[in-house]
Amino acid sequence: MNKEIYYVIAFDSTHHAIKAEKKLKERKVDIKTIPTPREITASCGLSIRFSGNFLDNVKDVLSSDTFNIKGLYRFLKTKDKKIVEKVKL
Amino acid sequence: MKKEVDARGFACPKPVIMTKKALDEIETGVITTIVDNEVAMKNVSKLAKSSNCEYDTEKVSEDEFRIYITKGDAKEIEDNDDNNKLKDMTIVFGSDKLGKGSDELGKILMKGYIYTLTEAEPYPSKLLFLNSGVKLTTEGSEVIDDLKKLENSGVEILSCGTCLDFYNIKDKLKVGEVTNMYTIVENMKNAENTIVL
Repeated sequence: MNKEIYYVIAFDSTHHAIKAEKKLKERKVDIKTIPTPREITASCGLSIRFSGNFLDNVKDVLSSDTFNIKGLYRFLKTKDKKIVEKVKL
Repeated sequence: MKKEVDARGFACPKPVIMTKKALDEIETGVITTIVDNEVAMKNVSKLAKSSNCEYDTEKVSEDEFRIYITKGDAKEIEDNDDNNKLKDMTIVFGSDKLGKGSDELGKILMKGYIYTLTEAEPYPSKLLFLNSGVKLTTEGSEVIDDLKKLENSGVEILSCGTCLDFYNIKDKLKVGEVTNMYTIVENMKNAENTIVL
């Protein structure tokens, strides 16, 4: 069965998402900037996506500065469905 | 499901048995049985008829006869086909940025666009990269993984050779093939739907 688990942090501001991406890339944390998934919000924001093993790195970098974060979400994607769960940052 | 049964060289009733076995193995789909004589073709056709399957026969040459047997609802077969993953549609990337305005934002939007393409099937059948668009298919691009995912699902990825040459990145292509303006024009003309970004 094709199962994929990943985390997404959605930002309230595009500028903050860009700033976070820069900081994370500087620290060589493997993340990807993606459009905020519809499951989180219908508005057209930006999010960063990463796998669970980078969760601590991401939290670490994000706590080093102020970011307007909408939330951290865990995605579980299988062939025919997507389960999204908001988790504590 | 598609299956081919090559029963040439086998004496009756072997071709019928082989076809029966193949038919039993699938829920729905098309079986092509190849035999080397007309009698065998007729016998296999009888089997198709008695199994309530639609069939068609073709005499390819003196010693090659083909029987095409369709099992189940033809529409259902089409739906199960891999082609369902692709849509006859060409997207032309004329730049490595999406939209006009801030370059920084344009690059982010383009990354987001290509990522989102990978998130929903059917995928477009072809992606063409022109001018600075070729920066997306070459070394240093952040969307290589997404493009590879699309390519693995059958999406054709083509980068303009003139453009790769102009930017001096001909040897840095990381995904897809090099193409020329003739193929680009042809693809844009032939696709049911072409989107230029």
